[in-house]
Amino acid sequence: MKTNSLNKKFDKIRFLEENNKLVSKDQNRLLNKFLNNKLAVLGLILFTIIILATIFAPLLSPYDPLKVDLRSMRQPPSLDHWFGTDNTGRDVFSRVLYGGRVSIFVGLGSSLMAALIGLAIGCYGGYRGGWVDVIALRISEIFTSFPQIILVLLLVSITGQSLTNLFVIFILTGWGGMYRLSRARMLSLREEEYVQALESFGISTFKICYKHMLPNALGPVMVMITLSTAMFILTEAGLSFLGLGVPLNVPTWGNILNVATDIVVLQNYWWMWAPVGIVISVFVLAVNFIGDGLRDSTDPSQQG
Amino acid sequence: MIFVISFLVYFGLDLTPGDAVSHMISPELAATITAEKLEAMREAYGLNATFLERYWIWLTSCLKGDFGYSMAGGVAIKDIMVKTIPATLELSIVALIISTILGCSLGILSALKKGSATDSGLTVAGMAGVSIPEFFFALVAILIFGMHFQWLPVGGRLLPHYENFLDRIPNIVMPSLVLALALTAGAMRYSRSSMLDVLSREFIKTARSKGLPEWRINLLHGFRVALTPVVVLIGFRLPLLIGGSTIIEQVFQWPGIGNMFIRSVRASDYPLVMMISLMYVFVVLTASLLIDLLTALIDPRVRLGKE
Amino acid sequence: MENNKNIALSVKDLKTYFYTNNRCNKAVNGVSFDIEKGKTLCVVGESGCGKSVTASTIMQLLPTLSRIEEGEITFYKDDEKINIEKLERNGQKMREIRGSDIAMIFQDPMTALNPVFTVGFQIAENLKYHTNMNKKEIREKTISLLDDMGIPLPEQRVDEYPHSYSGGMRQRAMIAMAMACNPKILIADEPTTALDVTIQAQIFELMDNLKKNYNTAIMLITHDMGVVAELADNVAVMYMGNIVESGTADDVLRRPTHPYTKALLDSVPVLGRGRNQDIQPIKGSTPDPYDRPVGCQFAPRCSFADNTCEVMPEITNISSSHDVRCHKYKEIFQY
Repeated sequence: MKTNSLNKKFDKIRFLEENNKLVSKDQNRLLNKFLNNKLAVLGLILFTIIILATIFAPLLSPYDPLKVDLRSMRQPPSLDHWFGTDNTGRDVFSRVLYGGRVSIFVGLGSSLMAALIGLAIGCYGGYRGGWVDVIALRISEIFTSFPQIILVLLLVSITGQSLTNLFVIFILTGWGGMYRLSRARMLSLREEEYVQALESFGISTFKICYKHMLPNALGPVMVMITLSTAMFILTEAGLSFLGLGVPLNVPTWGNILNVATDIVVLQNYWWMWAPVGIVISVFVLAVNFIGDGLRDSTDPSQQG
Repeated sequence: MIFVISFLVYFGLDLTPGDAVSHMISPELAATITAEKLEAMREAYGLNATFLERYWIWLTSCLKGDFGYSMAGGVAIKDIMVKTIPATLELSIVALIISTILGCSLGILSALKKGSATDSGLTVAGMAGVSIPEFFFALVAILIFGMHFQWLPVGGRLLPHYENFLDRIPNIVMPSLVLALALTAGAMRYSRSSMLDVLSREFIKTARSKGLPEWRINLLHGFRVALTPVVVLIGFRLPLLIGGSTIIEQVFQWPGIGNMFIRSVRASDYPLVMMISLMYVFVVLTASLLIDLLTALIDPRVRLGKE
Repeated sequence: MENNKNIALSVKDLKTYFYTNNRCNKAVNGVSFDIEKGKTLCVVGESGCGKSVTASTIMQLLPTLSRIEEGEITFYKDDEKINIEKLERNGQKMREIRGSDIAMIFQDPMTALNPVFTVGFQIAENLKYHTNMNKKEIREKTISLLDDMGIPLPEQRVDEYPHSYSGGMRQRAMIAMAMACNPKILIADEPTTALDVTIQAQIFELMDNLKKNYNTAIMLITHDMGVVAELADNVAVMYMGNIVESGTADDVLRRPTHPYTKALLDSVPVLGRGRNQDIQPIKGSTPDPYDRPVGCQFAPRCSFADNTCEVMPEITNISSSHDVRCHKYKEIFQY
């Protein structure tokens, strides 16, 4: 027999319905669905908290993240230093905050740039084709034949380590995915009737593509932006952890974790690396929750 | 495709400092050779020939198995590869098997119990799995299982006293589980959503109308059809598995090709970097070909398209 | 009422409610009918009136977010009376009934057949779970079933996949699958809607033969009055979850007493009657199931409606076989 809880739930709904207590609301479905997804809202809150914390870093912590203070080395967390101090006496908490700025900038920024480029080429290419599309397709195929980390490492070894290099490299490895996604959406959208109607009105190709069709392709692209951001932040963290990402003089989340390669630190001074790792995980998790919420609300095939 | 890439790789190689000759001869010889002999060798090797000709020579010698020499130790690249690739293969394949079996089972469980606490718990766990940086998870695991409880060795693959296969198992446990983390979470999520999609289709209703038992409907009819997109999606994530092994190998000091790759990047050992990159590309392309074949095997609809 | 010997299945006051999106949809709201042995009952109505839901309820194939609220479904198997509504949804007794006593065929055979298994495999499953036949016997029976249903080269076709069959052949295969264990009742949910008209005729001929050769009771769900005219022995007209009129085909088609039935008959062009047929579409449209009119559900669209129609009419027996649910039936057809 059906479980009791399900039966009770049905009884309640039936009672409400028969007494006219239930009415369909016709509000903005997208926003509604997103807000109903508790995880997505949680993700949004966490995401905002962390970003605001990094932006307002100077207000939240009086210490200079680069300032060395040999008198207070390796101190556990205290009221003075919320996350303790590291090997050279730098305040870990402010390093995490300032480091967040760089990591988030690299992750979110390159993801958005890659999306911009990918969308621009992909929309036009998917809609109209032509030699630009063919070349872009081949080039993106080449890029996706590499595992991402390998490609990044390869390019880093050629160009050398720096923040801007990493930024550019991420955009190079990321635009392909965006391009192919928006292109695929365009390919299916261009069979829709409203496109043919617009064409018959003589509206210019550019306008049709960018003004009318692009907004309809945005849903999956937004989801992909969140996924890329997550992936780039993790990649940057991994590379910097190995000392191959952003140069060690600039604090990033990955760089801070670099100290954990030393077994002594790993075992004894957990505050130097564990909180950062948790912060990274929480941030990426928040981004993933948001992405999931976006995916659910832009996907028309969901049921109660 | 692979030719295009090999062309690009060689082009990149050409751009880097150092001459093809200095890469092709072993360093012992290079130390004693005179300038005229060097020039003669260049002539003999056709280095004064055009770029395309040199490319051709390089390509054919690669196909014959001669990959040139590493700048750092002067060891033949081929030997390096032969020594390190099996270790990486071991790790990757174990991780792949674990993540596929575990991920799919949990995904099916999650789909069948949709909306329950189990489902929610697994979904969140899955998302955590893709959000935690793998190396961080590795560090925590090493700290807890390796140092604190001392259940598992902290790193490395072989120790001198290892005699048979069973001895090596403790070493592979942590690295493979950590490597499997992200792929398991992905597999779980794909199989869950694929199952949910398939379970709402008409033929499931038909199967039920025949009076078949629930397990048969869910597994035989349901999962069998849900499997195809899952295989394809796992195939997309394979490059991540292959790439992810590099960092894991570093953390666990696993003597695989990923470890070697990072060392070569650090040392700016360009020939090695290029060759390993090329090899990775080869692996990715082969893997996607295998996935295509596998898909055709399990889904008769795909077969028809190929006729 | 008929005496029990001729009745295969009896439905009384059945109510099935759906609970999706946290709303309550009274998809079937008090439905009663009998399915007689060896006869075809056609259940007619527009999309959304609840006819498919009724069929799914009989087989207990409802989705998770729904349940049988009230009512009885009595299956007269040989000498037993089985109350289907009391059985556990996917329990052993229900599974025994499904496939071997009551079988169902669906609207679109392409989606209703599993694409990764051969047709033979899917038919054999039915036999495997309801009979004691061995592998060889099952295979022979499967081939002979395909042959009976008019599929050419059955020995070859049995090992092929659904996508290499044509639309009409797929539906025949599905009928073969349903008839494998010689069920007492066959429920057909709009079996020809997805097929060409010429194939339609063949499928219906096939079903008619089943009735004659195996004495199968058939419940045919359709929205096409033309089909009803061809095949029905008994008819039940459904609207928004209620049966508004039921009786023998003769009763309902020649002496319709419900405004909806009459409107349905008037809205169908008849082949051969010539060009200037007076085709009247039914005014208005079916109401939102969550925003139903009070009382008789058809009242807003009915030309005969007045204040009395704000109360749901009871079932009136016009004759021993003919029932109608309307306050105004006397005005529709003078008996």
